[in-house]
Amino acid sequence: METNQKQRSYFAKVYSRFSLRGLIFFVAAAAFFCFSVLPVVYMAASSFVSEQGAFSLENYKELLSFDERRRALLLNSTALGFGAACLSTLIGVPLGFLLARVEFTFKKLWRFVLLVPLVIPPYIFALAWVLMLGRLEPEIAYSLIGAIIVLGLCFYPLPMLAAEAAFRQVDRRMEEAALLAASPFRAFWQITMPLIAPVVSAVFLIVFVLSVAEFGVPGLLRVRVFTTEVFTAFAALYDIGAATALAVPASFVTLLAAIFAAKLLGEKTLIGRRQNLAAANSTRGVFRLALLAGAYIVLVAAVLLPILTLSSEAFAVRSLSKVVLDSAAAIANSLLLSAIGAGLVVVISVVLGYARSRAKTNRGWFADVVFLVIFAVPSTVVGVGIIALWNRGGLETIYTSQAIIVVGYLARFTPVAALIFGGIVRQIPHSIEEAAAISGANWLRVFGRIVLPNMKNGIAGVWLITFIFTFGELGTTLLVAPPGETTLPVRIYTLIANTPPSEVAALALLQIAVILLPLAFLILWRKPKKRTA
Amino acid sequence: MKTFIENRALFLLIGSLILNLACASPPNTGRSIGNDSAATSGEVTIYVSQDRVFSEPVLREYEKKTGVKVNVVYDTEETKSTGLANKLLAEKNRPQADVFWSNEPVRTLVLKKNGVLAAYKSPQAEGIPANFKDPEGFWTGFSARCRVIVYNTNLVKPDEAPKSIFDLTDPKWKGQVAIADPRFGSTSFHIAALYTELGEEKADDLFRRLKANDVKIVPGNSVVRDMAARGEVKIGLTDTDDVNVALQDKQPVAMVFPDRDGIGVPVMPNMVSLIQNAPNAGEGMRLIDYLLSPEVERKLAESEAVQIPLRRGVEPPRNIPPLASFKPMTLDYAKAADRLEDVTRRLQDILGL
Repeated sequence: METNQKQRSYFAKVYSRFSLRGLIFFVAAAAFFCFSVLPVVYMAASSFVSEQGAFSLENYKELLSFDERRRALLLNSTALGFGAACLSTLIGVPLGFLLARVEFTFKKLWRFVLLVPLVIPPYIFALAWVLMLGRLEPEIAYSLIGAIIVLGLCFYPLPMLAAEAAFRQVDRRMEEAALLAASPFRAFWQITMPLIAPVVSAVFLIVFVLSVAEFGVPGLLRVRVFTTEVFTAFAALYDIGAATALAVPASFVTLLAAIFAAKLLGEKTLIGRRQNLAAANSTRGVFRLALLAGAYIVLVAAVLLPILTLSSEAFAVRSLSKVVLDSAAAIANSLLLSAIGAGLVVVISVVLGYARSRAKTNRGWFADVVFLVIFAVPSTVVGVGIIALWNRGGLETIYTSQAIIVVGYLARFTPVAALIFGGIVRQIPHSIEEAAAISGANWLRVFGRIVLPNMKNGIAGVWLITFIFTFGELGTTLLVAPPGETTLPVRIYTLIANTPPSEVAALALLQIAVILLPLAFLILWRKPKKRTA
Repeated sequence: MKTFIENRALFLLIGSLILNLACASPPNTGRSIGNDSAATSGEVTIYVSQDRVFSEPVLREYEKKTGVKVNVVYDTEETKSTGLANKLLAEKNRPQADVFWSNEPVRTLVLKKNGVLAAYKSPQAEGIPANFKDPEGFWTGFSARCRVIVYNTNLVKPDEAPKSIFDLTDPKWKGQVAIADPRFGSTSFHIAALYTELGEEKADDLFRRLKANDVKIVPGNSVVRDMAARGEVKIGLTDTDDVNVALQDKQPVAMVFPDRDGIGVPVMPNMVSLIQNAPNAGEGMRLIDYLLSPEVERKLAESEAVQIPLRRGVEPPRNIPPLASFKPMTLDYAKAADRLEDVTRRLQDILGL
């Protein structure tokens, strides 16, 4: 009798636990739907409506003809995305390994310096690239290869960060077991690499999407891709419907890439706990030297050269202090809006990522594809969608205030943050949650006391990356920004037209500096970890 | 303990709330349309595609003079973003702006065609020549820029510099000419004007020959200017204000007003328009009156923008000839605007853009 009652109360508990959990999932999903999905769905739907208000394929006519021009665009877009993702992975993963497994001096400083390209907006990177190579080697500077190199150098910090985290989390016991029988090289390729493959491939996909969706770099380097075509439809023809239709191929390529990756990898995870084993014994000799040499090369090519090029250009500026002082309000605004935006993105996406990672295989897989495809939608299309949805009675307080910029941040970056969290949560063994649940903790308690603390570093990392993304966001912000002082990138771009190149370079450096300072603080001044040798 | 029912009710409540937010209230209902000019709210919103460095002082001056708060959204250089015209198009059903100030005609004409603009004939527009005003009143021109040939004075002697846009096809300039992407901004206006003036056949031929002469297509007029200043090309096609920035910066460049005796110099006035269903239309009209005043034409002439006054009485900028001294390209703006899409597609084929 007593057991029966106990059992019943246990079930009631499970029931309430699951509905509370469901409620939180639902709120996060609804927020994601309103902020990110709805503008895209709205734009997609309205691209099928003619001027007369009837169903029409007019906007897709040219696309469906798939003539030579369209084929070349598709080829270029795919090659740019794939090339940049390959290059950034090839640079980033070895550097991640270096940071995770090799002992060397000034490691913290190295990690910080190697992250710098992430905060250089790709457009500014391309500007430096043109200043460096435009005259010497115009054939290379203005080419698809050039665009791949620029984007590869811009985005390698993402695979680097992910690979470092993954290499640290791989269960060292597995590797040690392999080492008993196999050479270090073989153990690395057959044990370690397959374990970090899901993380690396997820970041590969993110870089692929970022590159396919990038407009500034191919625009400046005169590479014809679908994003530049979308831009032409907007900026030359003012044809919003056609522009939206032209955004479809990039989403389609992303969809294919996502499906391919999912089929290839399945649902592997690298379960293991952080083992603070001395790293020194893992790599030495020629391999270590090669890695360090590589790091120096990357440092020169991706950090020193662009910054020095911009600096030498900025040296000619007439009044640097005026440039900085005039931008003070925009800087403060940018920092505040980005910090809030990144915080909200993290709150929503951490729940989405958790839900995704604990979902049934095919549902989770579907969520990944949705996240990626939404993320691949060009920022301008998202911007117009947001205006259409938010510029209406009742929402005016949001639309006519700075809050709409945060809405834009949420729309653009919730999907990618959720994708990353999905990967992070999968590394937390389900068993500890189950153990806590059986001991009687309700879901909220499990989530708050077990899941979140276990992914502390992940949350900080995602917040930081989102902050960097939001800080540099331009395409959506430009469209939705209300009157008055907005953000630093918007200010820079509104000033760029009739400003001498020296001042543009100075402003570009200013933008880099403003975001590097908090980054430097976070990375270099972090509480030193206790070491268990 | 929360029951299942309670939770489900909460679900429904939040769900319907969100749906409400997303789908409720069709655009532009239950909102007073402030078209009566008597209403003054002490606030006006203007979207400006004139460069911020030049437009901001003018608008701040107006604010100081009248005490009316001016909310401004600035545009970026047209080749770098999709710009304010798309924001105005997207907000068409529920406008936030009262006035649109464009620094070239194309965007204004596109907006007129799409029903974004309202007619307003300002009493201040009297001194402005009729060919720079829309007969229906949807836009009024003021202070203009010209399309000019810029050349590097270290590499090209003044008497060698090309005098006409047709000279740019001369083989001696092979690989030495830069123009901005002709699909965007003031270059798109220039090209639409050329097609209207020359007809399809001649204009197509001009661009085929430019292509054969290895013309460099670059992202913007400021890039054209910088390339000429650095000697990466000897000559380029750009705007008066862009060249003036380089002159102020003591760069080795000079400019030629092309075809001043032939087909005429392409003149691009600023255009100001009232927005259809503007929330503060009355204040919008007052601001338009101010922008069309001789005072503003003088200010823009004196600024680094070196804008040429359309009025006869206002002193032209230093180093720039007055409008009366050369033949402006005669142009039917509406016709040029109608050609825009067709011209864009033609140039994509001819120049391989």
